[in-house]
Amino acid sequence: MACQCEHNPGENRAGLLEKVDAIIEQTGTGREMIIPLLQALQNEFNYLPADAIERIYERTEIDRAQLISVSTFYSQFRHIPLGQHLIKVCTGTACHVKGAGNVYDAFVRELEIEEGSITTNDKQFSIEKIACLGCCTLAPVVQIDKKIYGHVLPGRVNEVIEDFLASQQEKEKEDAAQEKRKIAGEIRLGMGSCCMASGSTDIYEELKTASMQLGIEVNIKSVGCVGVCNKVPLIDVVTADGAITRYPNVKATEIKEILHQHFKPAGYLKRLKNNLVNHIDMFHTDLTWDNVIWKPENERTGVIDSFLASQKHISTEGYGFLTPLNLEEYINHGGFEGLKKALGTQTPRQVIDTVLQSGIRGRGGGGFPTGKKWEIVAASGKKEKYTICNGDEGDPGAFMDRMMLESYPFRVIEGMIIAAYAVGADKGIFYVRAEYPLAVVRIRSAIELCSQQNLLGNKIAGSDFSFDIEVFEGAGAFVCGEETALIASIEGERGFPKQRPPYPAVEGLNGKPTLVNNVETLSQIPYIVKHSAHYYNQVGTDNSKGTKVFALAGKIRHGGLIEVPMGITLNQIIEEIGGGVEGGEKLKAVQIGGPSGGCIPADLCDVQVDFDAFNQMGAMMGSGGLVVLSESDCMVDVARYFLSFTCDQSCGKCTFCRVGIRRMLDILDKICSGKASLEDIDKLEELAIHVKKASMCGLGKTAPNPVLTTLKYFRHEYEEHVQGICKTGTCKDMIKYTVTDECVGCTKCAKACPVEAIPYTPYKVHTIETETCVLCGLCVDECSFNAIRKKPLKEAKV
Amino acid sequence: MKITINNISVEVLAGETLIETARRIGYDIPSLCYAKGAGHKSSCMVCAVKNCTTGQVIPSCTTIPTEGMVIDTEGEEVNQVRTLSLELLLSDHRADCEAPCSMVCSKGLDVEKVLDLYDNGLLREARALLAKTFHLPETACDECKAPCEKACRRGTIDKAVSIRTILKEIATQPEESLAKDIDNSKPDKKLYLSRLGRFRNKEKEYLKKTVDTPSRCLHCACAGKKGCKLRHYATGQGIKRPRYDATSALPVMERTHIREDIWFEQAKCIRCGLCVYNTKNGFTFKDRGFGMQIMLPEENKPNIPEQLAQLCPTGAIYIKQTKEA
Repeated sequence: MACQCEHNPGENRAGLLEKVDAIIEQTGTGREMIIPLLQALQNEFNYLPADAIERIYERTEIDRAQLISVSTFYSQFRHIPLGQHLIKVCTGTACHVKGAGNVYDAFVRELEIEEGSITTNDKQFSIEKIACLGCCTLAPVVQIDKKIYGHVLPGRVNEVIEDFLASQQEKEKEDAAQEKRKIAGEIRLGMGSCCMASGSTDIYEELKTASMQLGIEVNIKSVGCVGVCNKVPLIDVVTADGAITRYPNVKATEIKEILHQHFKPAGYLKRLKNNLVNHIDMFHTDLTWDNVIWKPENERTGVIDSFLASQKHISTEGYGFLTPLNLEEYINHGGFEGLKKALGTQTPRQVIDTVLQSGIRGRGGGGFPTGKKWEIVAASGKKEKYTICNGDEGDPGAFMDRMMLESYPFRVIEGMIIAAYAVGADKGIFYVRAEYPLAVVRIRSAIELCSQQNLLGNKIAGSDFSFDIEVFEGAGAFVCGEETALIASIEGERGFPKQRPPYPAVEGLNGKPTLVNNVETLSQIPYIVKHSAHYYNQVGTDNSKGTKVFALAGKIRHGGLIEVPMGITLNQIIEEIGGGVEGGEKLKAVQIGGPSGGCIPADLCDVQVDFDAFNQMGAMMGSGGLVVLSESDCMVDVARYFLSFTCDQSCGKCTFCRVGIRRMLDILDKICSGKASLEDIDKLEELAIHVKKASMCGLGKTAPNPVLTTLKYFRHEYEEHVQGICKTGTCKDMIKYTVTDECVGCTKCAKACPVEAIPYTPYKVHTIETETCVLCGLCVDECSFNAIRKKPLKEAKV
Repeated sequence: MKITINNISVEVLAGETLIETARRIGYDIPSLCYAKGAGHKSSCMVCAVKNCTTGQVIPSCTTIPTEGMVIDTEGEEVNQVRTLSLELLLSDHRADCEAPCSMVCSKGLDVEKVLDLYDNGLLREARALLAKTFHLPETACDECKAPCEKACRRGTIDKAVSIRTILKEIATQPEESLAKDIDNSKPDKKLYLSRLGRFRNKEKEYLKKTVDTPSRCLHCACAGKKGCKLRHYATGQGIKRPRYDATSALPVMERTHIREDIWFEQAKCIRCGLCVYNTKNGFTFKDRGFGMQIMLPEENKPNIPEQLAQLCPTGAIYIKQTKEA
């Protein structure tokens, strides 16, 4: 069997080969270039055409075995062409608990995609599930090409498609040349991925046009992620006198009004005219924005203050006012002082000592002392060394690395240069997930800017230290967050982890000593060096120092990206920062650390944020996803969800991870379908313990954690499932929908039902045919009388 | 450098991995994905040992000993891990070790093997094998009620192979002593025996269409069972029956001819990667995780050396002589 790529007859072969040759020319022909090469090809053709691949065999050192091995390992690469537009349905944790599965099904139904296919017959749309788009606060999230839609309801996917198609038709407007203007003030607008998902690009456009129309001269400044992701789009208006007014959840239609509030337009006549036009405008456009796609939250103020009060900003220092790519501004706010202090006044050994004394531990999950790692790399006498920044954040439900790379690229770069100086590395690599295109762009530009200012390159800032940074885009494999797998993928192999020792710190990339640090770890370094170890280690608990960034999501009122001091309790985070559980429900558990972490039950949520405390509970700090689960979430389903994620992401190298996790998932599927016996629970536990014990890398060793913790704290739920009862009604095999007497026969549900399981019976109490019903829940959303309920198929034994 | 293995202090030789040190001093550590001198990466975890200092269970085949290491190779914990790893591998392995016809023959004839020789046109060899079990091959099955035909899995598809008729035909071949001795070792009933799954409808269709040997025999038995380490160690660990159901749809009896006498059967593969690491542009991995497969692109077939069959720990890559041209 040869390669399975389909030849695309539409493509002119000679033209294709010319393009391929140009790409090979530009990228290089070595075996280690395979991933960048395939990425470039896919960028060009949107998939990997067979002819292009044949050309690679002819023109490069890459052979068939390597190409098949690598291109089928990373989920980014496609061997068959997709439809014109790609719909990505996020199935991250936050989206999962908010019903991403139903959204996916709804798209498949709406677009009439046939079973077994992912593309519509007219090749207009393709659909795929994606691990996490990193917009967890807007869950469930769907991305169509570059446009992101938040809060998508299964019943309204047709509107999303229509909106998308409409936006396609609109020609992009040319940016009007900016005139010289007298500046009346400044407007700051968050432009992180969440903000953009909630429509901040439209706000940005609107700000530009509105200020022009009104003749108001303002600076429009896009800043990094403001963290208050649940309140975006959010703008700060800064008037000439320096006063700042903050507007959360702004709508494009309100921009003119806001501008009027703060600034005076050019002339009286213009103002009058504007007023009139605006007034008319309002009638036309008000509420047109207020559709389901961007569900605004009604409450407007008050929340943000408490959201921010308990936080402490180290990694996200400069939060809310730094423009991501404004180097001058970063420097004006104390940026690169840490680096200059290290290069100018300290020896590498002194820097390592500072980091050791600070007590900082790696933020990637394991919590290994950062200073120790540096010491080992520094101890090697080898000449060439590497520093790698691990930005392969693949946790479904975590997006802090993305936010930091997007919003604080200089800080991470500064941390990396300091690290390289301390360990004596001459080459740095940013390993960033390809799913974070904005982060890749920002980091690339930031590196460019730093090089221009001699903060990178030869003899940095007048010292004797030289250091260069490259960017490597990951190709979609969660396991590459593991450092040895990450290195394998940079070397052009499939991401198989290696047995340690030897540790990368001794023998890493290309056999050279390699320091691999997480994004967040590096972003704390400048602060430590600048302010001293002592100043830093005052924050935190005995064994966990500093701050930790979390992505707070799930059933929480105010989700977002938060940075908190170690030692704060989970309850404090949920209540004080998050404003409690969404919809007034009761807290059931907190899932922390993503697929490697565990569930901490509500009654233990007074635990402090601390590496060791979490480990003792069977959970893990992990990379920092914090998903709040309420009484309406099924813990068995949560465990199954995480396990299906790790099962999908396992590299397949070792038996326990490859087969063991699959067998665990089989048992969980059985439990969730109500066909299991009590014996199966024991079998599951035995398997989980052994997978943890005998898997070879961190992925396999931690994958059973969600199962083990739920077994530990919520065993009764497993036992209920064995009896055929899922109290929350999440496990679809155990419930049915029924109509209560409250039904007035309005037929709304009958119209909404996608599979016609509800007969059209006006003015009569509706009925639902259980056999036909696909349990999508559209009727429940549609019913205005709360007359449709989930009911267990079996009644609980009393 | 000195380390301690099962309370015995050992001097480690340069370049040795843990398994080599332990085997050198006489501990029998099972392993599948490791072969001395060959390129390998830990995969199977059957060679698990315990590092008593850290409490971790580690693969001994790739672990490089470090000074003062304390290792346990025989404890209960290690044993459990080994058993479970074998059970997991068996659950993702089409373990049709023995053909039912051979298992039920009261005279202990390896029926499947006779049929195999027959199908390959090696009639003299077939007769020689028959003669090893029966003094009078011509009348061998006359009195028998043919449990072999009742057990025949072809019978679940359409009609059982007419084993007795074929044996009779073989018996009519001229008697002749063969230079090459025919192996007539009987199936060892103490060995691990797989539970033969029922064919699904799709598989039945597939088999009906593709199996067109002269005898119509499916050749259920694993052609590479002889050197199968998986079976050997499963027996050693006292595994009788698989504990986990194979939910996977492993292709049934899909055997690929590589070249000359060398063959490949996907469903027997345990994905250890030895064949990948020890060929240049030959076998390769495809996909990842549980769905990961070992595949051989058509174009790479000439790159496969015959010795690879010895390296394969199961019967996935095997040598089988076919009729001389």
